[in-house]
Amino acid sequence: MSDFDRQAQLEFILDHYQNPRNHGEMADADVHLEGGLPGCSDLVTMYLKFEGDRVAEVSFVGEGCTISQAAASAMTEQIKGMSAEEIADLDFEFVSDLLGEEIVQTRPRCATLSLETLKAAIQEHRKNQIRGKI
Amino acid sequence: MNGYAHPEYLVETDWVAQHLNDPKVRLVESDEDYLLYETGHIPGAAKVDWFTTLQDPIKRDFLNKEAFEGLCSQLGISRDTTVVFYGDKNNWFACYAFWLFEYFGHPNRKIMNGGRFKWEKEGRPLVKDVPSYPSATYRATEPDMTIRVFRDQVMQQIQAGLPLVDVRSPQEYTGELIHMPNYPQEGAQRGGHIPGAVNIPWSKAVNESDSTFKTPEALRELYEPKGVTPDREIIAYCRIGERSSHTWFVLKYLLGYPHVKNYDGSWTEWGNLVNAPIEKTVQQEKGVPA
Repeated sequence: MSDFDRQAQLEFILDHYQNPRNHGEMADADVHLEGGLPGCSDLVTMYLKFEGDRVAEVSFVGEGCTISQAAASAMTEQIKGMSAEEIADLDFEFVSDLLGEEIVQTRPRCATLSLETLKAAIQEHRKNQIRGKI
Repeated sequence: MNGYAHPEYLVETDWVAQHLNDPKVRLVESDEDYLLYETGHIPGAAKVDWFTTLQDPIKRDFLNKEAFEGLCSQLGISRDTTVVFYGDKNNWFACYAFWLFEYFGHPNRKIMNGGRFKWEKEGRPLVKDVPSYPSATYRATEPDMTIRVFRDQVMQQIQAGLPLVDVRSPQEYTGELIHMPNYPQEGAQRGGHIPGAVNIPWSKAVNESDSTFKTPEALRELYEPKGVTPDREIIAYCRIGERSSHTWFVLKYLLGYPHVKNYDGSWTEWGNLVNAPIEKTVQQEKGVPA
């Protein structure tokens, strides 16, 4: 990565950290779930509202390090309109592409906290749906 | 700072503000948050990162002597530079970096009392300009093994009935936290603590209002009733050795305990060691791996 690319990636992350998108609780969410890393006190709660099987609205609240909070913000911009199945397929590469591999490698668990929480929330939503059908 | 055993290892924010342009002083920010420095830092401060700068990139260890010399040279630090560490999270990783500089024999080291939190709270300036310093030629000494222990020495400490201080949160100590719902396993297979260890969370040593260290009297009251006394050999540990660096600093420099060591392998090693003894004080649910 060139110095210019790295600087652009840094600015992208710092912008999401200082001006988080889709930030706030969602009172009428279909599901919300908290995830956290007690060792470094990063916390993220993801809120999701669905239309059919697709994410209609997403928001988050949280506190913690630059990377964990910027990742949550940047991710919410990407997943609107995705199906639960598509989100379940997202992996480390998705986060690396979003934030830049070099920076993600420095704190992989902080960078993937919101994705892991999101995927757990999707599972929770599926369980709730199954329980509702029984 | 009156009453600390070695006050020369601690400076206040006022002192730092007065030495921003002192060529014999190098400020070094060492944070848990990898990009916090980039959001703004004390003018003239250089950055180190515990994971990408201070550790070996391949094996689980600190960087070696040659790499440490390279780091200091790159930061323009020479043997007579006074290095002042500060950082986030009440100076966890500032103490971690301080410990490493002592490990390689750097003579003049200080911690900025209250860390980044206090500096910001006082409305002091933060800048985004990254300074560059002329390279120096640095020669480190061999690692000082009197301040570090490995797992075999921890086992000997258990057998000798000598004090171990687990500085993690009470929930980590009891073994409760590692299997909380939705929380990752924190890099250890098992929860609990090293047998015989007493739990004195690092956070008890600081004032919540400004992240400064508590008074010597308050610190003595914290450690001595639990058998952590200056006449004994003490080992501190946490999860990866950063929070225990903080306690190591408190015991060694603020209270003057002569024999304090940091077990940097800490719980992420002990909680994964096959056949290592563990004490656990929470009821484990049947069928739920801890």
